[in-house]
Amino acid sequence: MNVSTDPWVWVGVILTFCIYSFLYRDNPFYKFGEHLFVGVANAFTLTFMFHRIIMPILVDPFVTAIRESATEGMQLSHWNPYATDANFLVIIPGLIGCFYFARFIPNYAWLVRIPIGLFMGYYVGRSVPAYLEGSVFPQMRATIVTQDAFSVAGGGGMLNGIFAIVILIGVLGTLTYFFFSKEHKGVVKYGAQLGIIFVMVGFGASFGFTVMARVSLAIGRFVFILRDWLGIVS
Amino acid sequence: MKWERLIHIDRRVIFLMMALAIIIPLLFPIHMPMGVQRVTQDLFDKIDSIDGEEQCLMISTDYTPQTEPENQPMTMALLRHGFARGVPVLLNALYVEGAPLLAQAIDSVMVEFNRHATSHADSIIYGRDVVFLGWQPPPIVPILGMGEGIGNIYPEDYYGNRTDSLEVMQWIEDYDEVGIVVAITGLAAPLWYVQFAQTKYGVAVGAGCTAVCAPDFYPYCGSGQLSGMMAGMKGAAEYEELVHKTYNTRGRRKATEGMAAQSAAHILIMVLVIIGNIAYFATRRQS
Amino acid sequence: MKDKLPLILMIVAGFFGLTDRFLPHPVAEGFNQYLRDTLLRIISAFALILGLGNLILRHVNKIQHKGDGWRHSYTLLISFFAASVIGLFGGVSGELWFPTRIGNFQFDITTIYFQMLIPLGATMFSMLAFYMASAAYRSFRARSWLAVLLLGAAFVVMLGQVPLGHQIWSGIPEVSQWIMEVPNTAAKRGIELGITLGILATFLKILTGIERSWMGGGK
Repeated sequence: MNVSTDPWVWVGVILTFCIYSFLYRDNPFYKFGEHLFVGVANAFTLTFMFHRIIMPILVDPFVTAIRESATEGMQLSHWNPYATDANFLVIIPGLIGCFYFARFIPNYAWLVRIPIGLFMGYYVGRSVPAYLEGSVFPQMRATIVTQDAFSVAGGGGMLNGIFAIVILIGVLGTLTYFFFSKEHKGVVKYGAQLGIIFVMVGFGASFGFTVMARVSLAIGRFVFILRDWLGIVS
Repeated sequence: MKWERLIHIDRRVIFLMMALAIIIPLLFPIHMPMGVQRVTQDLFDKIDSIDGEEQCLMISTDYTPQTEPENQPMTMALLRHGFARGVPVLLNALYVEGAPLLAQAIDSVMVEFNRHATSHADSIIYGRDVVFLGWQPPPIVPILGMGEGIGNIYPEDYYGNRTDSLEVMQWIEDYDEVGIVVAITGLAAPLWYVQFAQTKYGVAVGAGCTAVCAPDFYPYCGSGQLSGMMAGMKGAAEYEELVHKTYNTRGRRKATEGMAAQSAAHILIMVLVIIGNIAYFATRRQS
Repeated sequence: MKDKLPLILMIVAGFFGLTDRFLPHPVAEGFNQYLRDTLLRIISAFALILGLGNLILRHVNKIQHKGDGWRHSYTLLISFFAASVIGLFGGVSGELWFPTRIGNFQFDITTIYFQMLIPLGATMFSMLAFYMASAAYRSFRARSWLAVLLLGAAFVVMLGQVPLGHQIWSGIPEVSQWIMEVPNTAAKRGIELGITLGILATFLKILTGIERSWMGGGK
């Protein structure tokens, strides 16, 4: 055993046990660890946001433009919205961002819709072709069974071709199962029953992977305790 | 047998059993050989086919400390692969909480390689062999912006160096010079790259994901949109094994170390489910 | 004005987002780049600051009104302000003027990240392993043949994902891979298609102004 003498390792271990104490029951140590985590995590994000976004993209170009205008006089390049070194117009996105804080002023709370609308509008607009081209069409194309699925030259084979048909049946069955606009009777009923079989196997696979994921995280913490703190695992 | 008592056993007993199932294999490790999944082999082969003179490997992460045990070994295995092949590696973080972890991974793997380097050409030099571009929010900005120019999105790297002053960035301009983007994720970053970057710029995308989201990415592997995937800690262990066997790399393989404990925990969960069901049906029969 | 202006701006931004994929004209590309790389980046920074402001206000209110667990709000506020001062004035790696070192003991924001944030965050997530074991024991009942199918698939996949499965029978990893590549792919693809089409319908409703819940209630 080679217990660590690094004070930070001890801090990490104490905090780890504070959180794990919740497994016994809820207690002030867990609450302390929880609140400490939220406080430090937000401070960390604020630090990076300030040093990597607000200063270089907003403050520095604006201040540089003021300084250059004062020493060399106003230039047209300072009003170029695409300039990144010295730019007065960068204040416009800054003002739009400040509209977020209008939610605290009752009469002007509606201004918060402007930055939300801009951000959401662009993202939604950009996502429509992305989802169609990136998800819907390729997935539908991959589901359609072609001759290539059966040919060895096309990277397939008889077995691959059969599995491709199974996937096609599974996709159609799953879509049928989740189609609630028509009552599940007759052909639709059998399609839905076939679909639920695939869905159950899929959820079982997801459960198996979820178990692996959660256990992996616990293994990571125990390695820290046994190796970095106690030194009993090499 | 008192099935009722068995069904209502205190959950802290189960917690203790899980803790022992993880601790004991860590204290008394057993190395078991493991196979390699097709999706992991596909990713390895794709990265192995990159020409380091013309293209680079890009590692893009959106994981946080919460999923570090699964994702960090993936990043390190990819770095080892890139360095061993002489392919320049670019890294960026889509979420700020993961940025220092990338810096730690780069430092750690660089030390591993430089410890055994015999010349300047052998060594891993920051700026020539690896660049950490840093973090720029929101994720859609770098994903789309790097298609127009990586230097536009990242005028400075994570350490404050001007990216246009770095040796490897003299010829890497946009996705045309990127052989593959491997998105290491705890969320859905590979899908963002597939939907936004691959559709517009045609860049190849690979995935390294936590096991929770791995089942959702299999359809994309099947359709060829993802060139390959490391699924969870097992996927990371497989990749570490592939890199080690092919290039004889040295360095701690964190994912492989945890496989014995993973096996024990999985067996425990299965035994618990079986016992729980036996107790349940026995209780039902009695009543 | 209060409804129409945000709506018009949203539709205009959405139009540029849509055309980003289809319009290769330099003017459109240049404006799209400005919109995305400057405007949205700065706006997202302010959104984060708003979130932080809300968090602080909420906990200050809790302390003032002695709400549930109000004493712990002090922990949050003190740790937030202390770490913020260290980060904002000390820099990301302690390179600025604020001292972040006493002898060999460093306490810059990056060190705090590695030594406090990682243990806390990783431990919180790792607790799920224990709760999952407890839930598996108490809740997973094979009451129907579909549940047996689910558990069977789960068992095969769990064994296939660890080296032990390969030791028990070399075919287990192959069967596990087949489950992932065929029935799981089929199910996830069907679910994904349905979800994506639903999301697209919602997005189109937002872009055309039919869906306005993002504007919130009130005037």
